[in-house]
Amino acid sequence: MKEKEGFVDFPEQQMIVYVEKEDGNFGPMQTGSYLSAHYLDDYFGKRHKLEQELREQLIANRISPVKYYMVLVDLSLAELASRTGIRKSRVKRHLEPGQFLKATAGELTRYAAVFNIPVANLFQVILVPVEGNPESHHILENKAGSVVVNQHPTANPCIVLTQPEERR
Amino acid sequence: MEITGYTHKMAAHCESGTITSLLNHGGMEITEPLVFGIAGGIFFGYFHRMKSFPFPTFIVRNKPGKMRTNIEKRLGASFKTYRFNDPARGKEKLDELLAGNIPVAAQVDFFYMDYVPSWERVHINVHYMVVTGKDGDQYLISDSYFPRMVKLDSASLEKGRFAGGTMSPKGFIFHLGKLPAEPDLNRAILKGISQACFYMLKLPIPFLGIKGIRMFAKKINDWPAFARDTEHLSHEIMKINILLEDQGTGGAGFRYMYATFLQQAASITGKPQLKGLSSELMKIGDGWREISLFSARIVKNRDLGPASLKELGDKIGLQAGAEEAFFKSLSKAIR
Repeated sequence: MKEKEGFVDFPEQQMIVYVEKEDGNFGPMQTGSYLSAHYLDDYFGKRHKLEQELREQLIANRISPVKYYMVLVDLSLAELASRTGIRKSRVKRHLEPGQFLKATAGELTRYAAVFNIPVANLFQVILVPVEGNPESHHILENKAGSVVVNQHPTANPCIVLTQPEERR
Repeated sequence: MEITGYTHKMAAHCESGTITSLLNHGGMEITEPLVFGIAGGIFFGYFHRMKSFPFPTFIVRNKPGKMRTNIEKRLGASFKTYRFNDPARGKEKLDELLAGNIPVAAQVDFFYMDYVPSWERVHINVHYMVVTGKDGDQYLISDSYFPRMVKLDSASLEKGRFAGGTMSPKGFIFHLGKLPAEPDLNRAILKGISQACFYMLKLPIPFLGIKGIRMFAKKINDWPAFARDTEHLSHEIMKINILLEDQGTGGAGFRYMYATFLQQAASITGKPQLKGLSSELMKIGDGWREISLFSARIVKNRDLGPASLKELGDKIGLQAGAEEAFFKSLSKAIR
């Protein structure tokens, strides 16, 4: 690839690609991500649609919060079991809403750590208004001017301070 | 506290970039493509069904961690490595090394790196970066994917270092031990090329090397059966572009970086054939880039029917033929 063909103006995600320079030598060039520059809206569109579908199933009690987050963070059942250290058959049961209620506090803490969320978020979905529509707070990265929900951990592992703030 | 004399530099790939940074800091002048090539980094593998992945996927480089061990073997450099069961002990050792003015490379789960935009963050346990200092509860990080140094709080670093799952880091850190007095670059380059050719051409496993590219070309037609719906399929096909271009490959699934390595290798080894082969690989890389762009296009248009997937498979199949001929020529060139 020639140097001028490879350059993408996207400061938010920079990367190094190796290109053919004008003098015929190959070398590194710092550029933006072509994919993010052209397809990020499509990615977020899919994320929002997926989250909405999962949320509807969650609210209707057809899936458990573990399943909701497992699909959102793109983990397989085996990988989630391995990361949490919980037996695969047990994780499989926790994907069902009825069985999820039988999970122990320790197991919930391990799920939350893998999903990188406070344990409290296994029992709630925080919605914030975006252009008049309620949207889940954890997939709002590209919404300029929207509210951002900060969740601050405390010394008490069960308690998190949830604070909506204006995005800067 | 900040390591003195450490220079942050962006690199195409996290592991080759991290190793290059440590070698450069230690006083050895070596480029990232040379590290990548000597380590035999170029590869291909296709995984149609694997427990740890929720969908078929592929890889375009050798096994994570192998770059470091291959560089040790071939260049004669040594790295001091540490693994921990206890996160507290892992943190203590890291702080101790930093206090001794030693830049420390760490293996982490990329998902917990808060400085990365959300759309890039995925659970992958083999991200490497260099920890170069500490300021209160925050570590100073030299991540080769970022134009400047970043800060990461200690809780996130600990989560990343001690994540469970496939290829769990177990707090793995390493730093430069010693450098060879006079590294034999010529021999190291030829060893690296020889291994890459063997892995691409001769591994008797149907999903690895050139055979893996052929399997990918064929099996992509089966991908709709794994998808929940069209949106899910489009997300997975977009990953072809991510894995080839965006996930730290230097473009075209490491083919552009390997072409750069061959160009540099030609002048070091005095084998002019390698220069011609580097231009050939650059063109093969353009073919992979065309596949990336084609994938992105059909995803955006949701044109994911059998005809489009067949066209995509055919393009991948052509790459298999081109790479087979290329690696056979490369193998001959170093004899």
